[in-house]
Amino acid sequence: MDEDILTTLKILIIGESGVGKSSLLLRFTEDNFDPEQTLTIGVDFKTKRLNIDGSRVKLAIWDTAGQERFRTLTPSYYRDAQGAILVFDVSSYATFSKLEMWLNELETYSTKNDIIKMIVGNKIDVDKREVSREEAMRFAKRHHTLYIEASAKTKDGVESAFEELVHKIIQTPNLWDSYEMNNIHIGNKGQPNQSTCAGYCSLV
Amino acid sequence: MNEEIDDSEFYHQDFTTASEWEVFMARIEEIISQWKIDKERSEKPLDTESIWSIKSERLNFADEHFYLYLYSKQIACSAITEINEEKEDNPQKNPIDSLHDFELYNENNNEVHSCLSIWYGLNEFIVLSPASNGGIINESKIKMLLSSIYVVEGNLVASENLNSIPIFIQIREKWQRLYLGVFANEVIRTNFEMVHLKKGLPYCNYLSGLLDLFKTKISSPCTIDQFIVSTQFTFTLSEFGGFVWKQDLLHQNYDIESLFILPFGVSVDPISALILKTTWNHLPDNLVVDSENYTDFDPMAAMKWSCLIKSTNDPVCLMGDAMTEFLQNLNNSFTIYDILGDFASLPSSENNPLDLLTEPNVPTLSRLLTRTARHSLTRNKRNNPPLSESVLVPLLYFLFPDADEKSNFPYGREEKEHVEPSEQILFKNFDEEFKGFKTCSPDSLVWRLSIILTHCLQSLGGLRAFAHIWYEFVQEMRYRWEKSMPIPGLSPGLPDLRTCLLNQKLQMLNCCIDRKLSRDNAQVSFDSAENSSTDDDDEFFDCSEKPTEEKHKEKLSLWNQPVGRLSKFGNLKLIKTGDPLYIPVTQDPVLKTEDQLEEDTDVLLQLGSDAEAMELRARIMSASLLSDMESFKAANPGSVIDDFIRWYSPRDWIEEEDKVDEWGQKVGQLSPRMLIEDNIWTEMWLSAKPVPAHRQKRLFDDTREAEKVLQFLDLRTISQICELIIPVLSHTAIYRLMEECQSLASDEIQFPAKISNLIRKGEVLTRETRPQPRRFEAIIQEAAALELLISEMNSLHYKLNPSRAINDEINDLVVKLVTGREVAVENRANSEIGSRIVSMFGEAQKMTNLSIGEQYEEGRNAINNVFPVPTAREFVLRANAVKPAVYSSKCPQFLRAVLSKDEFRLCGAWSEDTVFF
Ligand SMILES: Nc1nc2c(ncn2[C@@H]2O[C@H](COP(=O)(O)OP(=O)(O)O)[C@@H](O)[C@H]2O)c(=O)[nH]1
Ligand SMILES: [Mg+2]
Repeated sequence: MDEDILTTLKILIIGESGVGKSSLLLRFTEDNFDPEQTLTIGVDFKTKRLNIDGSRVKLAIWDTAGQERFRTLTPSYYRDAQGAILVFDVSSYATFSKLEMWLNELETYSTKNDIIKMIVGNKIDVDKREVSREEAMRFAKRHHTLYIEASAKTKDGVESAFEELVHKIIQTPNLWDSYEMNNIHIGNKGQPNQSTCAGYCSLV
Repeated sequence: MNEEIDDSEFYHQDFTTASEWEVFMARIEEIISQWKIDKERSEKPLDTESIWSIKSERLNFADEHFYLYLYSKQIACSAITEINEEKEDNPQKNPIDSLHDFELYNENNNEVHSCLSIWYGLNEFIVLSPASNGGIINESKIKMLLSSIYVVEGNLVASENLNSIPIFIQIREKWQRLYLGVFANEVIRTNFEMVHLKKGLPYCNYLSGLLDLFKTKISSPCTIDQFIVSTQFTFTLSEFGGFVWKQDLLHQNYDIESLFILPFGVSVDPISALILKTTWNHLPDNLVVDSENYTDFDPMAAMKWSCLIKSTNDPVCLMGDAMTEFLQNLNNSFTIYDILGDFASLPSSENNPLDLLTEPNVPTLSRLLTRTARHSLTRNKRNNPPLSESVLVPLLYFLFPDADEKSNFPYGREEKEHVEPSEQILFKNFDEEFKGFKTCSPDSLVWRLSIILTHCLQSLGGLRAFAHIWYEFVQEMRYRWEKSMPIPGLSPGLPDLRTCLLNQKLQMLNCCIDRKLSRDNAQVSFDSAENSSTDDDDEFFDCSEKPTEEKHKEKLSLWNQPVGRLSKFGNLKLIKTGDPLYIPVTQDPVLKTEDQLEEDTDVLLQLGSDAEAMELRARIMSASLLSDMESFKAANPGSVIDDFIRWYSPRDWIEEEDKVDEWGQKVGQLSPRMLIEDNIWTEMWLSAKPVPAHRQKRLFDDTREAEKVLQFLDLRTISQICELIIPVLSHTAIYRLMEECQSLASDEIQFPAKISNLIRKGEVLTRETRPQPRRFEAIIQEAAALELLISEMNSLHYKLNPSRAINDEINDLVVKLVTGREVAVENRANSEIGSRIVSMFGEAQKMTNLSIGEQYEEGRNAINNVFPVPTAREFVLRANAVKPAVYSSKCPQFLRAVLSKDEFRLCGAWSEDTVFF
């Protein structure tokens, strides 16, 4: 089974506390929503196998606590991540305002040069929305990240978010240790690499 | 080819040879016509490296393997040659009927059989050459092959759709490059013949004799009106006298400071000779005389000058060589103690030479004493220390410049300004280029250490010196830890995971020193404040700062007195008591280097990802949460979890609108997830005791962590040290290359492309957990090739343009020369380059004359004093002669003579009118 795994990818989920990071992860890995999700302490992770572009990849997704106090601990786990999901809560403008800070944090602590970043606006099922899609997309464009809206509760957009991110990582061969597995060719290798800034899109 | 053979054997013998021979010839014809067809069909071949497009086919004849080659010059490039363009007009024109004399040599166009083009000026030809190295020696074999190509060429002419190409066979031993050949079309037939001897025939040594030979050989029935002569004399300059390039020239005063940068360059002049060729083209034979006693060919008056260089064979590239030393030690599993033997086991704490550095730098008595004590100790041992004190001490001062107030090499100097005009600079921002390197910052401690270790390994005594420096380095680290002295040359802060492991380890040690220092300081104030001392200091964390107002409260030390307050948290009040909510003093964060993180991550990963594992992970991660809760409780007596959450995770505290409690603050409640029964947060809150941070068990034990780092450093084997250093060394080496080629801008050599290629490889190398030898080796090879190229260019600039004034012409010349090309010198001796060449030759001549004494032999009419005897002379003779009969038309005749000390070669091409024969 493991033989046909192309590579193991490390993905981070970061963002303010309570925006739904752990819920997104639970939804993606177990297709489940637990309103009684406990507040994450430090870091945790889940794994999932995924079939993308004809290649099987194994994801190790690291969930982090968003609190200020944990912030000295969690960046240690940013090491060698190929992708990062920055989550905010569309019903809380404050969580959106903090994205800039999270991007800086990523810039400072990620050890891979061209880590793929994706901004996820979560909780779109909630009625009172405080962050408009346009504003969030402008922000994503300005920071050259992918952008997707989702709801861990209704499951909208969750799977696409992860798949999109992995797809992008696979298209950036620098990121996964291609030099250590010279013989493996990924599915649509011939496709020209779109520039990262063209990669934002909206779903749902 | 009619041989008289005994009748009895004739039938049988003839049948087999003839048939095999016929098959052989048919095969040759078949291959040639196939090539023709391919050529018509295909567009230009994409071979860009050489101007030659070469096709080959293997075939057998009489148990011998052959290759048949087709050499075609690719049209786009053929402009380089001196062939007249009109040639294209008439396809049936004889290929030797050109003005080709001497081609500018180009190493990149050098193929096994391309000499035929150089000698005869052919753009397309076919060669039949034996596959084995033995060559075709046997005379009858040669005849057989020669008649084969005669027949084939004849058949090709007969089948009219084919344009003729000359066909050659290679004969004798291969190194002789000896060929016979034939060309034919409907009207003419040319035979190519060669002579190759080690020593020339006396009567053929000068133009006069060669002309006689030429006339005789043509043996035309009519007189020939004119012979055309071209000549080339070659002079070799290999004694550069004052213009010998040495790397040391860069830094004139060779001293200890040359050890502070990586070794670079080559150990000998990379240019072994400068070759000048002087050429005369197409002179009528009656205008020039060249005989044993007199010559008209004065190089100063030649029509054309050109030059090329000869590179030194495999010179040692110092930087590449030094890197190779590291590569070779990647399997060395000795520890430094194995290598140092007795020496390292000296009782070091008192006699540590590093005391010299770290003690106050006024030469105190104790310092001098230490010095003498050390001397006596080392003298008593059988082994002398690998590095003498006079070398060791300056090296250590370079690594630890903070030990010397007057150091010329403090860390964090401003980068030296590059003064060249901006458009000459190839690389604007070095830091940007090396962004992806997982190493350390330029000119930091680890950077300098890698340079010093390199010198040790290469030139200061090899492994023993290498081990010695490492030993002293580790001793210094231990000393700094013990004396709580910060280590210089490291960026402040936590171990930076984007740097190499060694850099992280040293940063970790620095953090430990930092914490120890602030702990010691705090201890002093704490002791004086509390007026009591704790027995086991190490067991407890001591917070660093306390607002003075707390101190008197602490003195009372009642169990429910608040302790360890940092500051008020806004104007929040505790829900139950209404006292201000205080942020507690908390423990400093736990620090990890990447290897430790790796271990931690492995532990977390191995737990798996089920609910139980999640729970377990949360417990592992919760040590700091518990510590924070205890600090909070200590600072806020009477607080409840709601208070804690308001500080710790404000988004889990939901305020209600318009409802105010008795202390005037908004009423709120915990978020649903915090209200879940028995969740780990509430559970932990219940178990937390009010203990201020400084009395808690330390989450991060700096003493233990520092000891771990020191052990790590101390126990490295030679190979492990190399693994730690190789990424940094790759960085410093590529950086050095960039600096060196900074001013050598050239479109042709494309330094930026070559360097970025190296940078990419270097990046990958530095990111490997252990540098792969194979990858490092590839980097060494590329780096050494660039190092050699740069040295060659430096050497040439030094010779041709000593002032290093900006001169595009010379830049261009140098680039062409180092890429293996012969370059025309415009305006000959009248040009700047030409006059430099003349003066160098002149100087060398003077030196020779001096050493021989005044009575040196004047060769012929002693061309003049500037040039030595030519190392080679070449003559090309041409004529159009009526052959074979009086009524035949004029056919081109050609003879080239190449005369040098160890070679005499004649290349002839003799043509005849075939119309009536
Ligand atoms: N309505 C809604 N609530 C959500 C959604 N995702 C998470 N939540 C809730 O938001 C709270 C915080 O979720 P959690 O995943 O623990 O956030 P984290 O701190 O970022 O890990 C929980 O009470 C979740 O039930 C969503 O998509 N829609
Ligand atoms: Mg969470």
